[in-house]
Amino acid sequence: MAGEDEKADADPPGQREDESVEKKFDRRDVLRGLSTLPALGLFGYAWSRERGYQQARRAAASAGNAAAAAGQAELNVALLGVGAQGEVLLDAMLRMPGLRFRAVCDIWKEYNQRRAVNLLRKYKFEVNGYEDHREMLDKEQDLDAVVIATPDFWHAQHTVDCLRAGKHVYCEKEMSNTLEGARSMVLAARETGKLLQIGHQRRSHPRYRHCHEKLLGEARLLGRIVTVNGQWNRAVSPDLGWPERYAIPSDRLRQYGFKSMAQFRNWRWYKGLGGGPIVDLGSHQIDIFNWFLGANPSHVTASGGTDYHDPATHEWYDTVMAIYEYETKEGPARAFYQTQTTNGSQGYFENFMGDQGTLVISESEANNPGLLYRDPNAPGWDEWIRKGYVSAPGLQERKPEDEAVVLDVRESVSPDQHRVPVVLRDPYHQPHLQNFFDSIRGTAKLHCPAEVGYETAVTVLKVNEAIEAKRRLSFRAEEFRV
Amino acid sequence: MALSPTQMATIVVLRVLIGWHFLYEGLSKLTTPGWSASGYLLQSRGPFASLFRGMAADPNVLSTVNQLNMWGLTAIGLGLVLGCFTRLASAAGLFVIVLFYLCTPPFVGYFYSIPTEGSYLVVNKNLVEAAALAVVLVTRSGLVAGLDRIIHGLLRRRARPAEA
Repeated sequence: MAGEDEKADADPPGQREDESVEKKFDRRDVLRGLSTLPALGLFGYAWSRERGYQQARRAAASAGNAAAAAGQAELNVALLGVGAQGEVLLDAMLRMPGLRFRAVCDIWKEYNQRRAVNLLRKYKFEVNGYEDHREMLDKEQDLDAVVIATPDFWHAQHTVDCLRAGKHVYCEKEMSNTLEGARSMVLAARETGKLLQIGHQRRSHPRYRHCHEKLLGEARLLGRIVTVNGQWNRAVSPDLGWPERYAIPSDRLRQYGFKSMAQFRNWRWYKGLGGGPIVDLGSHQIDIFNWFLGANPSHVTASGGTDYHDPATHEWYDTVMAIYEYETKEGPARAFYQTQTTNGSQGYFENFMGDQGTLVISESEANNPGLLYRDPNAPGWDEWIRKGYVSAPGLQERKPEDEAVVLDVRESVSPDQHRVPVVLRDPYHQPHLQNFFDSIRGTAKLHCPAEVGYETAVTVLKVNEAIEAKRRLSFRAEEFRV
Repeated sequence: MALSPTQMATIVVLRVLIGWHFLYEGLSKLTTPGWSASGYLLQSRGPFASLFRGMAADPNVLSTVNQLNMWGLTAIGLGLVLGCFTRLASAAGLFVIVLFYLCTPPFVGYFYSIPTEGSYLVVNKNLVEAAALAVVLVTRSGLVAGLDRIIHGLLRRRARPAEA
């Protein structure tokens, strides 16, 4: 019967009712064996379209930079330190045209260095890997710039050696874990005439620049800023580990100043190597306090301790609260900053409060990306809305969830809420790196040269000093100068 | 009970679609620099939560889990699309997807911040895909339409002279 024939044709050979009938393996079997191959072809086509789409998106994102770099000579770049932060910088740089990566230097040859070299080779760069930065500087004579993302206690030596070798340097913040180290970097930049950009990347963030130049500068929307507060609430996270098979031999660890692999991976928590969360996180935001207030602080009071972690493995304070006092051109101002280790709710931001309005800003596009509040008594912002400096006001009035509650009549009228209409679609570090490379090409000026980075280092490192001193410390004006 | 050609064709289509999904999941992870299962594992709820969170906490284990995930999904996807070692691929796929289900089960009272596009109660798309893979596993569709048919045929051909 036709039906039975069909059945026999559909069933797998092993399931046929008549197992005894040995069927010859023929061309038909081959055709049916390959019958789903077109599906793989279709997948390949869809996959290549998807990849093309992603690449086009990336190309469109960097089109502006490409136009800027068009016709300019490529810069030869080396990476010194390619751990987590180095990887973030590399990710941003890979989107930027006009860079030719030549070398990668990292003491963790088995993991970081290999990963970065392999990645760059995938992007068709002929890169060499090095463990020792001096060997790299000896052999790679054609380098124009070195991007440094090593632990803080190495920054001074790495930067000074690179500058003296005639290279321009982008060095991650904190500039150094000691003021002597930071000072030597400023002096080396001056002596050699080479550029040194410190990685306070918010200085190049278009939203921060818009606020500094237009909202606070030209429009003076906040009026007189009297109080500032900022925070970085960070969730508890386990210490960084490492795959055992890639562990660095102990003699190499010792050679580069680490007692153990655990210390190497978690150097930020150790005195003498890093500066703790106030330096890792707070430095970015306290730098903005100084920048937006147009002044360096006159005093600092701070409280801090290793309140959550084990002090044996977390020498630096996991919880810090600091109060700065400023004498700005317009009068006194105070700024509070906290970084703590519990959970990450409310995230990170900086909040500037003036007598006419408030600015809440952060680097993040997701949380606190830029809100302004106009006090109802302040002059209207219509001109600035028309110019596109701020968005039209949104509905700010909050209603209590329970409609039955009775609000006190003396509560302030809610201020208008406006957005800062500037969005960054690139990785956060990209504009700052772009500013560095544009400065090398002579088409821009550094947004955070060594002297500015030094002022921030003085401001931030004093917090740890104030915690230990358990008293209010003052800054002398000359402390900020080299 | 034997299957009609239409029934078997439907299962082949089902197998290819699931394979496509696995293949893309694997390749997209492989081509995302620094991809890690850590965020997903840390979301885990339910009776096996400590096991999955433990995987995320140990870098040695996490590194292995990441590699197995990326390459495993890709290999299973290829196997299912091409009908190559279909039973092995569908069994492995079933195992992997049951792990995904157990990691973040949609039980009453559990809330996740990973994006989901629907509403689920106990049964979610992972479980449905697992059940679909179970169908693929027991029906041996690779022998009907897939490289298994060629492999099987060649092995039989090689075995025949020995039997003789």
